[in-house]
Amino acid sequence: MISPSRCATVALLLLFALSPKASPAEDATNAPLTFEKDIRPILREHCFDCHGATEEKEAGLDLRLVRFQQAGGDSGPAIVPGDAEGSLFLQRIRSGEMPPGEAKVSAEEIALIERWISVGAPTARPEPETIGPGVGVTPEDRAWWAFQPIARPAVPETGDPSVRTPIDALLRAAMPDGLHFSEDADRLTLLKRACFDLTGLPPSQELRERFLADESANAYPALIEELLDSPHYGERWARHWLDVAGYADSEGATNQDAVRTWAYKYRDYVIRSFNSDKPFDRFIHEQLAGDELAGPIEGDLTDEQIELLTATGFLRMAADGTGSGDNSPEARNQVIADTLKIVSTSLLGMTVACAQCHDHRYDPILQTDYYALRAVFEPALDWQNWKTPQQRVVSLYTQADRQKAAEIEAEAQKVAAERAEKQAVYIAEALEKELSKYEEPLRGQLKTAYETPDAERTDEQKQLLAQNPSVNISPGVLYQYNQAAADELKKYDERIAEIRAGKPVEEFMRVLSEPPGHVPETRLFHRGDYRQPTDTVAPAALTVTSPEGEQIQFRANSEELPTTGRRLEFARWLTSRDNPLTARVIVNRIWLHHFGRGLVETPADFGRLGMPPTHPDLLDWLADEFIAQGWSLKELHRQIMLSTVYRQSSYRDPEQSAIDAENHSYWRQNVTRLDAEILTDRVLATTGELDPTLYGPPVSVMEDDAGQVIVDGQKRRSLYVQQRRTQPVALLETFDAPVMQTNCELRPSSTVATQSLMLMNGRFLLVQSAKLATRARTETVTELPAELAAVVGSFPEPLPPLWQFGYGGFDPESNATSRFTPLPHWTGSAWQGGGELPDPKLGWVILHANGGHTGANPDFCAIRRWTAPADGILKVNGTLHHSNENGDGVRGRIVVAGQGLAGEWPVQNSEAATAVESINVSRGDTVDFITDCREHVTSDSFSWTVELTLTADDTTIGTWKSDAGFHGPTGPRKPLHPGDVVRAWQLAYLRAPTQDELNSAVDFLQGQLAYLHAHPESLSEGTTPEDQALTNLCQALMSSNEFLYVD
Amino acid sequence: MQPYTRRRFLSDNAMGVGSMALAWLMQEGSAQATPKKLPKDPVHFDLTPKAPHFAPRATAMISLFQHGGPSHVDLTDPKPELTRLSGTDYTGDVQYSFVNRASKALFGSPWKFAPHGECGTEISELLPHLAGIVDDVCLIRSMHTGANGHEVSIRYFHGGIPGVLGRPTLGSWLVYGLGSESQELPAYLVLTDPGGHPVDGVNNWSNGFMPPLFQGTVLRPKEPRILNLDAPPHLRGALQEQNLEFLRALNQRHLEQHPGEADLEARIASYELAASMQTAAREALDISQETQATQALYGLDQPETREYGARCLIARRLVERGVRFVQLFLGGQPWDNHNNIRTALPGVCKRTDRPAAALVTDLKQRGMLDSTIVHWGGEIGRLPVTENHGETASAGRDHNGQGYSIWFAGGGFRGGTAYGETDEVGHRAVTNVLTPNDIQATLMHQFGLDHKELTYLHGGRDQEITAGREARVVTDLLA
Repeated sequence: MISPSRCATVALLLLFALSPKASPAEDATNAPLTFEKDIRPILREHCFDCHGATEEKEAGLDLRLVRFQQAGGDSGPAIVPGDAEGSLFLQRIRSGEMPPGEAKVSAEEIALIERWISVGAPTARPEPETIGPGVGVTPEDRAWWAFQPIARPAVPETGDPSVRTPIDALLRAAMPDGLHFSEDADRLTLLKRACFDLTGLPPSQELRERFLADESANAYPALIEELLDSPHYGERWARHWLDVAGYADSEGATNQDAVRTWAYKYRDYVIRSFNSDKPFDRFIHEQLAGDELAGPIEGDLTDEQIELLTATGFLRMAADGTGSGDNSPEARNQVIADTLKIVSTSLLGMTVACAQCHDHRYDPILQTDYYALRAVFEPALDWQNWKTPQQRVVSLYTQADRQKAAEIEAEAQKVAAERAEKQAVYIAEALEKELSKYEEPLRGQLKTAYETPDAERTDEQKQLLAQNPSVNISPGVLYQYNQAAADELKKYDERIAEIRAGKPVEEFMRVLSEPPGHVPETRLFHRGDYRQPTDTVAPAALTVTSPEGEQIQFRANSEELPTTGRRLEFARWLTSRDNPLTARVIVNRIWLHHFGRGLVETPADFGRLGMPPTHPDLLDWLADEFIAQGWSLKELHRQIMLSTVYRQSSYRDPEQSAIDAENHSYWRQNVTRLDAEILTDRVLATTGELDPTLYGPPVSVMEDDAGQVIVDGQKRRSLYVQQRRTQPVALLETFDAPVMQTNCELRPSSTVATQSLMLMNGRFLLVQSAKLATRARTETVTELPAELAAVVGSFPEPLPPLWQFGYGGFDPESNATSRFTPLPHWTGSAWQGGGELPDPKLGWVILHANGGHTGANPDFCAIRRWTAPADGILKVNGTLHHSNENGDGVRGRIVVAGQGLAGEWPVQNSEAATAVESINVSRGDTVDFITDCREHVTSDSFSWTVELTLTADDTTIGTWKSDAGFHGPTGPRKPLHPGDVVRAWQLAYLRAPTQDELNSAVDFLQGQLAYLHAHPESLSEGTTPEDQALTNLCQALMSSNEFLYVD
Repeated sequence: MQPYTRRRFLSDNAMGVGSMALAWLMQEGSAQATPKKLPKDPVHFDLTPKAPHFAPRATAMISLFQHGGPSHVDLTDPKPELTRLSGTDYTGDVQYSFVNRASKALFGSPWKFAPHGECGTEISELLPHLAGIVDDVCLIRSMHTGANGHEVSIRYFHGGIPGVLGRPTLGSWLVYGLGSESQELPAYLVLTDPGGHPVDGVNNWSNGFMPPLFQGTVLRPKEPRILNLDAPPHLRGALQEQNLEFLRALNQRHLEQHPGEADLEARIASYELAASMQTAAREALDISQETQATQALYGLDQPETREYGARCLIARRLVERGVRFVQLFLGGQPWDNHNNIRTALPGVCKRTDRPAAALVTDLKQRGMLDSTIVHWGGEIGRLPVTENHGETASAGRDHNGQGYSIWFAGGGFRGGTAYGETDEVGHRAVTNVLTPNDIQATLMHQFGLDHKELTYLHGGRDQEITAGREARVVTDLLA
């Protein structure tokens, strides 16, 4: 159900969010009180709505000027300077009568007002003779830091040799006593940091080796250059921008959440723009007004026009359900409001949304400012002449494509006509044949009825046809009468489809553009309600950023362009020196992504509800330098990354930490967790699965059995995974990737148990861990570095599988199994000598889960062999059964390696309990269950299941049943090698393990091997203990903090 | 290598950290005093159980939040005068939300009320099960938010200021002030509706300006209620324990090279919790362990009540296992009866009435009601006038934040109470008017917390749940 309060809600949430404004009490002790500085903000918050902001003043009272307060309203003067007690205004506030509603003026604020009246209600300056409508913008409002022109500070001389760049100097100079920059991080850390920051991928082995081997001073700067040149740079930084732009591959807004098939064109545009280091001002112009830059379109779109139109996809990112279920005026206006939110939070660093309903209560954003901004977009986003998303796509077909498509279609139509003719003939033939089964006159009546068009049939005819259904021959049932004809028609269909497939593929762009000459009026909506339009508002810049008294207006209609040109003018104003906000907003975002925190910690809110900059000088220096360098992002990255502050170690020095635990002063680098996408991409890069292809349609997502959204067999970078608003990929969402509502201004970084569960039990990491294990074994380090090889012991040869199935004999002389040869052929349920029985060589020897059949002589006994996984005392229980009257039955023997016969049970059409109470076994000892045919080779089928219990030191190690343990072929058992571990370490951590680490990894693997050998049920299907143990090790590596964090 | 136990982790690391976003931690050692004033940076937060300011009446709460605005004049607040005047125009002022469909025609309730229980409180025929437990219920008929909009009032209820986002919700404050009693389950759990998130989505369980440690953890509305809770069969048991032990050793070595990194410590602990949740959460969520009789009490044998009943029953099982605060939500605003109230309202009553009453009955039978608060109610009520131009068949009611009802049971609330009044037609609360801030103050009080003393430093100010707004502990509601 719709909520009409949405606008009010949006306004309220911004209004009431807690402001960092200084408390009145603090002010009281400092400068003398003035109306403008101390009192007006209180009145603005609580009173102006009814007493000043609008035309109608409640009770005739206007509180905007002290003069007006003294003049008062219907009840007389509101204040009497010097006489607080006698001031009606104060009385009303104190009694709680005013303001009405729940929000009351706080006791401190009341005390402040009282003091101010008592000292004569002073103003900071003489009040103006006249005052415009609304709350207006005062000099105090204009004095807010964010609205000041960008002023390049002088770079201080610090005398600190660790200072490398102006950024360092500015930070160093601002450090409190006792703080200094930390040492540079070690080179591997620097390499990882730079790679993840710039490309979102770990360094390749080649790059790592080259960089670590390069001792020159230029190694690090060269690394930065190389990374900035990587095409993956654009992917990484596009992701940051797409968050702010609110990128999604679906429309949202309605339950349908329709797919945006072509949104990816904009995503690819953003990647290309970052990779080519398109000047950021140009990037802004293109996104806001690409259509107006594109020039007249004559004939085919040029590549440049395609690029420019694609850029406007930025303004098509807001959720828009007007083409998928809700095209109401509310929905259209919501698209406009969301688009303005995206524009203002991403480019102005201001939340203007609350001014949709009334003047902002904290920031000097007037309601007229909001609608002036809306007027910029109104010609393209006109809710009264609305276009749905489908109506806003532009085809990429060229004239040649169109012509080719038409030619192909004509060809297809030719075949279709041929087909239609054939079909008519076949149906007529079938009908004739069917009618021939009827006698006249019924035959003629049916024919007439059939040939009469449906709508014209008489009731009689309809009934006639209904009673004789077999006459109702339609194309759909033709096959029932003439299969050959139907097949032939199907061939036609295939041919038609084949011909049509030859058409050039038609692709589209999602574009925002204006109909030429469309100049709609923008009206201010009373309380943000489109049903209550009031004054007309012209397109203009924010009042507060314009010089006092002369608001920067944008031309309502351009003379040079067929469209209004408003967005182009707005875009140019954004990037002009007249606007102090945009450049600061951009450099702050770049800083944020290099340090995990912005210089302004609220990157989308530079107003009073946001946080002030921790280093205003540095912010201005960066913004000014950014503009001076032609809005080059890559230059900005260089400035930041070559500085000492960026290169520092993240080590938390206790002494410095005691002074500045939160690292506000940047005395160390911050440790940050990988973003969701980077985590996923890093896993894929580590296992070697990553497909580094750039661009293209998104990889689709699916739901698994639990309803969890996954990417089946992901290989592409996560940037290319479909981002449906209603189907966020669980892994990404769990690690804080935004589920796009409007846009994401700042990602949280959470640490919750659901993330741990995802890494412990989620399919993605389990599958990838197995892949890493395979890779580590394939690429094993055959010769360990001397410092590791010296200490590490080798892994024991793998034990044979717990159960083996073979043939051989028992030698009474030596009291031992004389020979054991594995049976060569597996049928799917039994082991035997070959595909045919009897096998020419081995005869009838078979073993299956419950028993088997013996061979024809003492050398072809069936032998089920068990190998002890550990030392202990073995107890055997079991039953040997022979169930045939013929022959002399079979004999079961249990033979223990090194100890000989432990028991012998002949059976003939009978059964025997094959119990052995206690056998001492050592790890690797075999226990053979040998069945032979005795004297006569007749009817030697048997069943023999046993249960083994192994106990060591009063603790049962395990119990095994021969039937449950029966299995087919297992993979080859390649022993593990410490080199596998070293390789896994290199791949996951980008370094070799230390001796300690290698030892503990080997310990871990040995423990796992023992466990897995004893518990074959703990092997995932088709794996060997070695593979499984190494997979588990790889999973731990990729779930660990060293993998998840960059330091 | 020395095994790194959870106990040692906790003692080494002073339990958690500012940036730590674990949704819970386990208790170890003795209870600490609730912070009255928090120290300056660096601040460490944790979920160890803390002693309240004074002796509490309640230790846990289950909130059955009824999004959308249940129509109090049809459910809990009988208005004979409204019935008498039905069809005539209301003479007073009405605050509408949907002006375009507004009407002043009064709309008497189509349903009958009757007194129930020893207390004789009148309840509508639509809520027969509530009628059955009315002697345990403390009904408030004079709620007032002053705002009609859903979100505005919802945020008022959860966060303390109408319409304002970014504030911690009630569950966050309780967990912040009192810590967690469970080592194995989140202290603040949310059970959402299969029909989707409630209006205002994740803001309903936001930690606001507090660390994510105090955020509500959402259980999925369908099985599996927690994703990836089960290890794949081959890893279950000893093998995964070995794996986690090895992972712990890796992380410990890494932490030694990055001493004092709170986030790294938090992640180590998050694995421990994930591991213990694997068994604890599965057990807690397994309602098949309940007797046939209990399942029937909640209506699990009826298609209409099965889903909501199951969630109510899970809520009880969670509280039983030490969870501090459980909140149930409905998706799709079933109480938002702008149209067709005659057919829509009985449906949602049928779905929720039995399970809600069963929860109170069940808690009482188990001796848990004394220490567990059950809350039932929405953010607003509905207008006494008709919406949709008075078409009788399709008539509905618009939003009403001026006066409506909610109820509590258990946890020291006085049963058999009917507190406060709306005006004669049920539009505005007129007697003993209560705001969400009063409710917050009263609930904190039941937990042994002074809402003005329990503060959290943010934006340079000590913040309270009631945001410095007028709020009182309503002792008339308490036993």
